[in-house]
Amino acid sequence: MPFNFLDLITIDRRSTVSYDQQIKESIKALILDQTFYYKNILPEPNELANHLNIDSKFALLAYKQLVLERYIKKNKNDDYNVSYFELTNYFFDRNVAIYDAIIALGLNPSIKCVEKKVVHLDKKTIKTMGFDMKEGLDYFYINRLYLGDLQPIMILENYLPLTVFPNIEKKFEGNEPLNAYINSQYGIQASISKRTTKAVNLTDKLAKLLNERKNAASIQSTNRVYDKLDRLIDFGRSHTISSYYFQALITKDEMKSYFPNSFQNLDD
Amino acid sequence: MDYIYINKTLKTSIYKQIAASITDAIDVGNLKYNDKLPTEKEICQTFSVSQTVVRMAYDQLISEGKIKRIKGKGTYVTNRKNYHTFLHAFYDMDVEEGSNVFYHKELILLDDISEDYSAYRALKLDKGEKCHLFVCVIKSNQNPVVLQRIYLPEKYFPKFKEKFDKDEKLFTLIEDTYHYQIKHLHSTFSPINASSAEALLLRIHPNDAIYFVRMKIVDADDQIVGYVYNYFPGEFTEFEVIVHAI
Repeated sequence: MPFNFLDLITIDRRSTVSYDQQIKESIKALILDQTFYYKNILPEPNELANHLNIDSKFALLAYKQLVLERYIKKNKNDDYNVSYFELTNYFFDRNVAIYDAIIALGLNPSIKCVEKKVVHLDKKTIKTMGFDMKEGLDYFYINRLYLGDLQPIMILENYLPLTVFPNIEKKFEGNEPLNAYINSQYGIQASISKRTTKAVNLTDKLAKLLNERKNAASIQSTNRVYDKLDRLIDFGRSHTISSYYFQALITKDEMKSYFPNSFQNLDD
Repeated sequence: MDYIYINKTLKTSIYKQIAASITDAIDVGNLKYNDKLPTEKEICQTFSVSQTVVRMAYDQLISEGKIKRIKGKGTYVTNRKNYHTFLHAFYDMDVEEGSNVFYHKELILLDDISEDYSAYRALKLDKGEKCHLFVCVIKSNQNPVVLQRIYLPEKYFPKFKEKFDKDEKLFTLIEDTYHYQIKHLHSTFSPINASSAEALLLRIHPNDAIYFVRMKIVDADDQIVGYVYNYFPGEFTEFEVIVHAI
């Protein structure tokens, strides 16, 4: 426990906000901005209370609340450690495989196949997904869990037309990166990926698979991958753990629609 | 239930008349998002029609996405439009050129603060330094699109009260009124569950998923001149990204 961890948790005695709430908010902010990182051990509640010169019940109350909100976890030896597993993906708007993005996060990647089968889809579903009807009604369905250091990060379902990928259900093991596989085995290369992302509540089934609480918020991404012939070759839908986030750097050049006048002058 | 009109002397089927009445009521604004519709039984009793007919009308409206059934609670209007935009234009509510979607901003809080743990850390402000905070909800057709908490430090925005105009766009205020050149926006997109206060302002249910977007506004001198918390209702917000192979 580095000495300065204690000093970072502060309270304001003149504030009208209760001490336990102040401690809770202070620790939460330190976790969210990654000053306190995943697996870091927090000061003992008594130690913190002594340091702040307050009754230990306030520190205990704050810790209890943080445990309930899943920011921290009480261990068997009564230590409290940060359980919030926040992962940033800088690659959301770039063409990087999830597997490689996990490596870039500094984690050891692995893929666990939850389910794989051939499915017979109805015409309405095929149309909604965006596939061409000439691809037929049979699709290879695969549902896989992506893990970093053996912790679930994301679950991804894919639908691939069997007309484009014949016998894939027999050949594809399920735990290898998909894009690299279809490129090496079928000579098909993804050209464009169109992604739509929204925040959703996890269903009970997904929450269980992702080791999350029921109804936890998650980033859902619907991906349509097209090849060089502009043919839809893969429809995918992913859900992340709640502490997953991504970042985007939006430059002034990309803000043309907001500042039409200033860009008009530059263009002239 | 006075928005439902049935004329039994017409040849048009009754279920279509019920569905059309409700659709009209939604279109003209007599029924708004999250309004509860009468039960099938109530309609049956009022108009002396069969429950099958009412169910057919509701099923049609459900398939059109205009209403939804919530088990054990009832049937609700869900005509709320999605805010669909490219990810790199998420902040710009005026980007839908040529569309008939109009946005308006409702200011709900204007305050001067001297502390806020997370925002002050992001803005690199010391406790006690003054910062202007304004909270607003941007709506489209009465439906909230985004709730924003905007932090502008006094040291970068002096005489704020004199210069602040609630109808002015944020980046126009920063660039034209205060003459900072915006270099980039550094945004972090994360999913969170709505608190009861956020749910109330966004007209969603507590614990519903929200897209929480923290945005640092960085100027040409690499100073973080402003910080914005954006809360988008998850069910009604979609960001699109197109990724090209290298």
